[in-house]
Amino acid sequence: MSGSDPAAPEVHSPFAGERAPVSPRADLLAAAVLLAFGLAVLALSLRMPTFAEQSGTGLTAPGIVPGFHGTVIALLALVLGLRAVRRGALRGGAPGPARAPRRQDALRLSAAAALGTLYAGFLVGRLPFWLATALFVFAFTAGFEWPRGPAGRGRRLAEAAALGLGTGWAVQLVFEDLFLVRLP
Amino acid sequence: MLDALGMLGAGFAHVLQGGAAFHALWATLVGIVIGALPGLTATMGVALLTTLTFSMDHSVALLVLVCVYVGAIYGGSRSAILLNIPGTPASAASTLDGYPLARQGLAGRAMGISTSGSWLGTLFGTLCLALFAPVIGEYALEFQSYEMFWVAMFGIVIAGSLSGGDPLKGYIAGFLGLFVATIGQEANHAYPRFAFGSTDLAGGLGLLPVLVGVFGVAEVLSAMRGPAVRAVSSKIDSVIPRLRDVLQYWRTILRSGAIGTFIGAMPGLGEDIAAWTSYAAAKRASREAERFGKGSIEGLMAAETGESACVPGAIIPVLTLAVPGSAPAAVLMAAMMIHGLNPGPMLAITTPEFIYQIVAMLIVADMVKLFYGLILVRPLLWVLLIPRERLMPVVFVLCCVGAFAITSRLFDVWVMLGAGLVGFVLRELRFPMAPLVLGIVLGDLLDKNLLRGLVLSGGDVTPFFTRPISAVLAGLVALMLLMSVPGVNARLARGARGLFGALRRRPA
Repeated sequence: MSGSDPAAPEVHSPFAGERAPVSPRADLLAAAVLLAFGLAVLALSLRMPTFAEQSGTGLTAPGIVPGFHGTVIALLALVLGLRAVRRGALRGGAPGPARAPRRQDALRLSAAAALGTLYAGFLVGRLPFWLATALFVFAFTAGFEWPRGPAGRGRRLAEAAALGLGTGWAVQLVFEDLFLVRLP
Repeated sequence: MLDALGMLGAGFAHVLQGGAAFHALWATLVGIVIGALPGLTATMGVALLTTLTFSMDHSVALLVLVCVYVGAIYGGSRSAILLNIPGTPASAASTLDGYPLARQGLAGRAMGISTSGSWLGTLFGTLCLALFAPVIGEYALEFQSYEMFWVAMFGIVIAGSLSGGDPLKGYIAGFLGLFVATIGQEANHAYPRFAFGSTDLAGGLGLLPVLVGVFGVAEVLSAMRGPAVRAVSSKIDSVIPRLRDVLQYWRTILRSGAIGTFIGAMPGLGEDIAAWTSYAAAKRASREAERFGKGSIEGLMAAETGESACVPGAIIPVLTLAVPGSAPAAVLMAAMMIHGLNPGPMLAITTPEFIYQIVAMLIVADMVKLFYGLILVRPLLWVLLIPRERLMPVVFVLCCVGAFAITSRLFDVWVMLGAGLVGFVLRELRFPMAPLVLGIVLGDLLDKNLLRGLVLSGGDVTPFFTRPISAVLAGLVALMLLMSVPGVNARLARGARGLFGALRRRPA
């Protein structure tokens, strides 16, 4: 048993780096967005009708609760922003302790998000579900395995196609035929 | 007592009728596989499997979901021990000693410890559920709108304070969740809030599509980012749990079981905090503390017992207060509602036998988990090594099916996608997800009870602070908020130490 066996298969840890801190600048940006969001929620809540005539008191006004939530979000965002400034968010050139997102990571992430959006947002509902699924799974698997190089690429593409068709068929069988769940 | 035993017997008879054993077997296996696969969590597993249970009878459906939940929390330890990667966040504490044991050639023994600890933990927690849930349920009947408002608020604050390490971000996540719950028609005047003229938005954002997005889509994106790491290859020794390990560490098992159950019963904290707290408590009390982190059997036992005891613990507040103790329990609660069951204080009056049916389900799931723990090692090792490029698109497809199935609206698929992208960004910015989920689940409870309380009191807010239970809950919320202010926590601790010191010095 060895922990550094070079022939061992690769596995990804989705929880790696979960505890790494985020940079004060990112916190400041998040705080600005959340502050705007909280204030927008508050403004929209104030514009809601109060139904004072029906209830007699106005205490059942639909805007009370979301207005409260919007106010709290705005206040907490303000505290987050001030904390980020105190931690050096406005100091120029300070890179902060954040992990510099690698270009490769960003590419993989963008590709996954784009393929997911294409599938869920456009293919599902327009094509038969099994076909949309087969195309998505094939494109996803083939796309992410492409950088492994030309050696064995033909076999990997065939496996990706089989996985796509198999997933489309199995999902249709298990959900629609076996468990009577409607598919898109 | 005899009544309780009678109801437990009836619960077993009810749960085990028909093909229940078959459902328990496949659902626990699915749960273990989901838990073991890095990137798939118990919450996601319960959310996705909820879709499959729509056409089932409610008791079979809940048995399936309880089995998935119990199995997934246990399954996470497989990859923690063999790959040094927690299969679910709950198993992170198990990597500390599980992986070193595996590197010493004791992977089988580590899995045996994990199996026995997890089995005993769930059994301990289930016993606590059977004993305390009916009592808490009766007590909860005295709760009115004022108290229920504070229960919801307490859930958000405690989850925000403890679940992510940064209370400020936890509170923001909690209130974002509460906001999401306000979208759509409200109960009093059927006014569509934040609908902007859309009939889809007027119907509100479905709980399941949002949860599948936050836990499914966001996890797919997280998993696809970043490089792969090398896994260990393993020779597995015997996985049969040793009685000596159990007898030697019985105090640790009882302590971790109690801690796990208690943390489970606290709204929104969940299995990962239960495991870490049990681990820390075991280290403090251990005579071999120096071995912790280097392959300590006691450390692994504590973490596994704690996280597994948390599962029944997290169901206690679901059944008694309609407040989930963890993120997977939140989805389980949503599934109960989908199947027409109304968890909460009235359960003790309307269907008291339901609590014992859940106890029976947990025990069945625990037994099946033990069975798989003993036989399912080698096949699972292969499952663990499925490349993410092949696993994640399939998971994404299941997310889409799960989001669509509940109301057959493509709008819900868009909601899932949006929730997934927002959830991913929030996760990247280190906003914890547990308070967000709890906020979405508790939003309706808070909304209705705040307005109902205000109407009952004619706009007077004092009953929210002066009624005895409300006052205690309000005090706890204030204390939690104060403790999250930097510096105040240390001062409070110093003050408490000084007070206790003075009391001890006082002559009798």
